[in-house]
Amino acid sequence: MENMIEFKNVHKWYGKLHVLNDINLEISRGEVLVICGPSGSGKSTLIRCINRLEEIQKGEIVVNNTPVHDKTVNLTRLREDIGFVFQQFHLYPHMTVLQNITLAPVNVKKMSRKKAEAIAMEKLEQVGLTDKSGAYPGQLSGGQQQRVAIARGLAMSPEIMLFDEPTSALDPEMIGEVLDVMVNLVSEGMTMCVVTHEMGFAKKVADRVVFMDEGKIVETGKPDEFFDNPKTERAESFISMILTH
Amino acid sequence: MLADFNFRVIFEYLPLFLTGLRATFLISIVSIALALCTGIIACACRISPARVLKYPAIAYIEIIRSTPLLVQIYFLYFGLPTLGVRIPEIQTGILALMLNSGAYIAEIIRAGINSVDEGQLEAGISSGLNYVQRMRFIILPQALGVTIPPLLGQAIVLVKDSALLSLISVAELTRSGQLMTSERFMPTEAFFTVAFFYMCIYFVLKALAEWSQKKLIFREAY
Amino acid sequence: MMAFYFSRLMEIFPFFLKGLWMTVQIAFISLFTCTVLGFFLGIFRSGQNRFLKWFIGVYVSFVRGTPFVVQVFIIFFILPEWGIQLEAFPAALLAMAIMGSAFICEIVAGGISSIPKGQWEAAASSGLTMTQQLRLVILPQAMKVILPPLVGQYVLLIKDTSVVSVIGVMELTRVGWVTVVRIPEGLMVFSLVGILYFVISYPLILLSNYLERRMAV
Repeated sequence: MENMIEFKNVHKWYGKLHVLNDINLEISRGEVLVICGPSGSGKSTLIRCINRLEEIQKGEIVVNNTPVHDKTVNLTRLREDIGFVFQQFHLYPHMTVLQNITLAPVNVKKMSRKKAEAIAMEKLEQVGLTDKSGAYPGQLSGGQQQRVAIARGLAMSPEIMLFDEPTSALDPEMIGEVLDVMVNLVSEGMTMCVVTHEMGFAKKVADRVVFMDEGKIVETGKPDEFFDNPKTERAESFISMILTH
Repeated sequence: MLADFNFRVIFEYLPLFLTGLRATFLISIVSIALALCTGIIACACRISPARVLKYPAIAYIEIIRSTPLLVQIYFLYFGLPTLGVRIPEIQTGILALMLNSGAYIAEIIRAGINSVDEGQLEAGISSGLNYVQRMRFIILPQALGVTIPPLLGQAIVLVKDSALLSLISVAELTRSGQLMTSERFMPTEAFFTVAFFYMCIYFVLKALAEWSQKKLIFREAY
Repeated sequence: MMAFYFSRLMEIFPFFLKGLWMTVQIAFISLFTCTVLGFFLGIFRSGQNRFLKWFIGVYVSFVRGTPFVVQVFIIFFILPEWGIQLEAFPAALLAMAIMGSAFICEIVAGGISSIPKGQWEAAASSGLTMTQQLRLVILPQAMKVILPPLVGQYVLLIKDTSVVSVIGVMELTRVGWVTVVRIPEGLMVFSLVGILYFVISYPLILLSNYLERRMAV
């Protein structure tokens, strides 16, 4: 199968801290990958490198045949294809939901406002929030804000969606609504990388689970195998920790 | 003491005070407008990655902030003629107020920009917006709300600072008090009247600043 | 000509140092009195006594609403009318104390009000007296909020000492003003004055920036 994202011997340091240590990873088109691991293991850094929110010092990352960390790469063009959803949503507080979603299509893709709004409404329907198009982020619950953030990412019609702990900042009763939206995305064949500890989500839709610790990929496997029969001791203790949590 | 407060003299001199008040008002408005332009440019240079812009901006801001306005006024008042520049006192004064407040405004705007959460920037970057677009659509609109109350605070400071122009004989409000004192020697009446007018301007601007502070709805979104 | 004036200026440089020394004295005494007074006023401003609160509020509004130079004139010209004769130097100190303490009062009151009510309640519940609550629980926390703007205010106070030159106190600005009559090189004379102010206020600006960064964390 065709590779959508490819990490080749990637290293990254923050000062002396080796946050990514020789990462090799291939993600194929339409694959859903879940990345988990203890905090500080480098999992967020890993996906932030994919759309170059972070620089790397060694190795190569290729996304959709584009070398991401090449000096000559057209970053805008690259980022149009990659939707990113943050843990803290990062909706623009001074704009309505609709303005949040149409900002990039109008200004980056140079789409007409009318067309962008039509797409935005379509995406809002997908996340079940058509009635909130005129609201400001401050008027929405955390779960609703995160669904808007997903719609904002989708509005650029990306080929890849990256999720950085999308449910970690949410109250428990709101996690479900966000995960439901993500599950629906999977059925549309979107390539997805999700940093999350939601085991239920991983078991239901993930093709593969990657377990990271101290900047390294320690274990990779099918979700059922990984969660029920982890091969390494570190993964085992991590899983028992999130289970008792 | 205050029982002898002579209101008749104040009414007699009222036209003088009103002329002074008008001058203070005009000087302040012109200076704050010019200072705003200066501040925006200085801030843009200050946060620019280009060193030829950044370092002169830092030097300008720090020199202004660490020397008294009165010294800056005298510097221009006594210094410009030695350079062969002869302009009326009032223009010298406005120039001084502009340069002085401009430096403070540059720092106010910079603080506003810095107050915007870094995640906002990252969200903008991730959706492919370029530097100018991120500034225009995401950072500046949010920074603006945070900047307005301190900008009004700076306006209050500038109105009061303009009183120092009386020392280079600009005919503004404080100068009116000095003139009346020298003619009638009734400093109590003269300077309490001057103070009263400044207080009026102060309360209006302060009410505006407090109102704008309450209007900052967007900050609550986070 | 420039060189000639420059050497003249260097000849009378000791005169500038005397002015600087006067500025430093006024600044130092004022910072001290303003801090002490400002803290007292600020504490009473956030206290329970309604009359005191109102009175301090009026005082602060008057000081913040009028230019310092007008306040200096009021003190210097009006006190003698009321039978209080003051030399320029004590008049300058009085004006500085009145002005500075009002600004510091606002900073202190702001710091105290930034502490959640629960802290007062917790301290009261463990049996501390009002003064103990303030001294042991509230003020130590409020200092974090108070310190950066306080040092910023110190810089402003140092610079404001230049205004007392108008009543003839022979401080730095006055020295410049007197000199420029004899040496008509305004840029040179007031650059020198500016440099001397820079020397005393810039370290405080750096300290204020540093505190702001540290306290923000």
